[in-house]
Amino acid sequence: MSVAPPFHRLVVANRGEIAVRVMRACRELGIESVALYSDADRDALHVRAADRAERIGPAAAGESYLSIPAVVEAALRSGADALHPGYGFLSENGAFARAVIDAGLAFVGPAPATLAALGDKLAARRLVAEAGVPVVPGLMVPLTEDEMDLEAVGFPALLKAAAGGGGRGMRRVDSPREVGPALATARREAMAAFGDGTVYAERLVSPARHVEVQLLGDRHGTLATLGERDCSVQRRHQKLVEESPSPAVTPEIRAALMESARRVAGTVEFENAATVEFLLDADGNHYFLEMNTRLQVEHGVTELVTGLDLVSWQIRIAAGEAMGDEVLAAAPRGHAIEARVYAEDPYDGFRPVAGAVSTWEMPAGPGVRVDAGVEAGTRLRPEYDPLLAKLLVHAADRPAAVSRLRRALDETLIGGVQTDLGFHRWLVDETGFGAGSYDTSLVADRWGRGPDLTPEEMDLAAAAARDARLAAAPAERSASLGASPVESAWATQARRDGIDR
Amino acid sequence: MSTFELRVGGRQVDPMEASELAWLDRRRGIARLADGTIALVEGSGSEWTVTLRGRRIAVQVLTARERILAVAESGEAAHAGPLDITATLPGLIVAVEVSPGDEVQAGTPLVTIEAMKMQNEVRAPRAGTVGGIAVEAGQTVATGALLLRLESPAAR
Repeated sequence: MSVAPPFHRLVVANRGEIAVRVMRACRELGIESVALYSDADRDALHVRAADRAERIGPAAAGESYLSIPAVVEAALRSGADALHPGYGFLSENGAFARAVIDAGLAFVGPAPATLAALGDKLAARRLVAEAGVPVVPGLMVPLTEDEMDLEAVGFPALLKAAAGGGGRGMRRVDSPREVGPALATARREAMAAFGDGTVYAERLVSPARHVEVQLLGDRHGTLATLGERDCSVQRRHQKLVEESPSPAVTPEIRAALMESARRVAGTVEFENAATVEFLLDADGNHYFLEMNTRLQVEHGVTELVTGLDLVSWQIRIAAGEAMGDEVLAAAPRGHAIEARVYAEDPYDGFRPVAGAVSTWEMPAGPGVRVDAGVEAGTRLRPEYDPLLAKLLVHAADRPAAVSRLRRALDETLIGGVQTDLGFHRWLVDETGFGAGSYDTSLVADRWGRGPDLTPEEMDLAAAAARDARLAAAPAERSASLGASPVESAWATQARRDGIDR
Repeated sequence: MSTFELRVGGRQVDPMEASELAWLDRRRGIARLADGTIALVEGSGSEWTVTLRGRRIAVQVLTARERILAVAESGEAAHAGPLDITATLPGLIVAVEVSPGDEVQAGTPLVTIEAMKMQNEVRAPRAGTVGGIAVEAGQTVATGALLLRLESPAAR
């Protein structure tokens, strides 16, 4: 940009890939970035990606990334004039946004009042229904131990945390006798994740697709709807794959979705970035789920099809800039897909796994983008989210994008821990996904615990392991193969080239 | 000449002797397999992990001596005696769902561990009677930590 940077110094109150993502935007805008880190993250990638760094506390998120006093104090110490919360942690906490603003910094996100109004998903349901937007049938009041009758809602039903998000505090119930135990678990999970155990219930819409609309709004009353993302590939109500445009959305459905999203945004004085989530049933009807008043994990999908840098726009909007035609006339181009790389075992119910990343080889080439928060040697922490990276592809149309994703996955090698890459590699060859016909039940119904190993795969693996042991013999060297992370041959070569010059 | 016995998921496999495997980066264990796939081979001694199309496959490569030891061990494990339930992931114990003396069926939730912000239920792998419980809610555990002991089901 030729003009002065919107801010001088910006604190990124997050970790992992999203912290790195925001820091990249800062660098491009000419803003100094400040990383915050817990003791577990002293050597993390996001600390190195920043211009400076401030310690905020011990490894436990409650005493570091989730501690409003710790984050605000560190932000003040750093001399920053703005703060970006990323997603998760304190990003949708109105009290946090208020504390940041009261400390004299700009908060890169919607106003505290907006966060408060829409952060309570139950209150948001009431607000949105009043604005004439269809909501999922269900309770408009909390579900309690004294009032657990869900006959009016109907079964199967879904228990949800009022303060929720990210699938936490969410439980499916199929019969009245399951309500009690599910309510207890949902409450506990909601309490642990959000500090608020309020739970409500909705009818489970099935089959359904999860489709969401990206919004950007500026301080001058301009609102942009930047198309939809289909996030129907989920496990535990958490997204694994997102794409834009949605294969299920016709121009008519799209127009209706954008109109509903505008109405939702109209219930508050909306500014900055947010996403309105809807369920889309088999007949093309949509129902409001919730509005996330922050940047989404999957924002990159929209960036690829619109050509806009959403994080950069968030920062510019927070500095008071007005959106022009660059945003309002952005025409979507081609098709984008994101595959989330999690340290989870898809062959064991997507159970989070611990350990250290050994080999870390990411794909590259035309139309491929990788947003990563780890690297070779990173030790994964049980305290934090198991998202390692996001692989994004962009191509002229959906078949080309699926093909590109397959190619990118084949270029990817991660050692040391099981990831969900095996699931993604299966998905790109799955007939239903290939045809764009799938819904939120795909993982449960078609994947389950994954296919059994074929005799060919067993033979290939066994032969490779035998060869590896033979290679290590006869000395049975103590240094084992692949056990320690080392730089790639390219990096070594590049360094040699540098020295030779 | 290899005299190794190869096991995948406890099953003995016997791939062709002449594998068309090409090492691309021996130090990191990166190889091109016979079908053209790039795989990652990690491990040492008899325990190896081959990452094939994103899936980690555990392979045992056993010498004759290791084979004899493995047979002896599996014989001991086959007894339906007490079973120690351990944490498969590190995290915070948020709830202990059973008490000593409880009769449980396979699949009964025993302990809930919170890790990476998710609540993970540890379930009974088989029927039995809950013996000693080694943890309590609020405690942090490491991978492999003893959670509780499952005794043989009470005779009826």
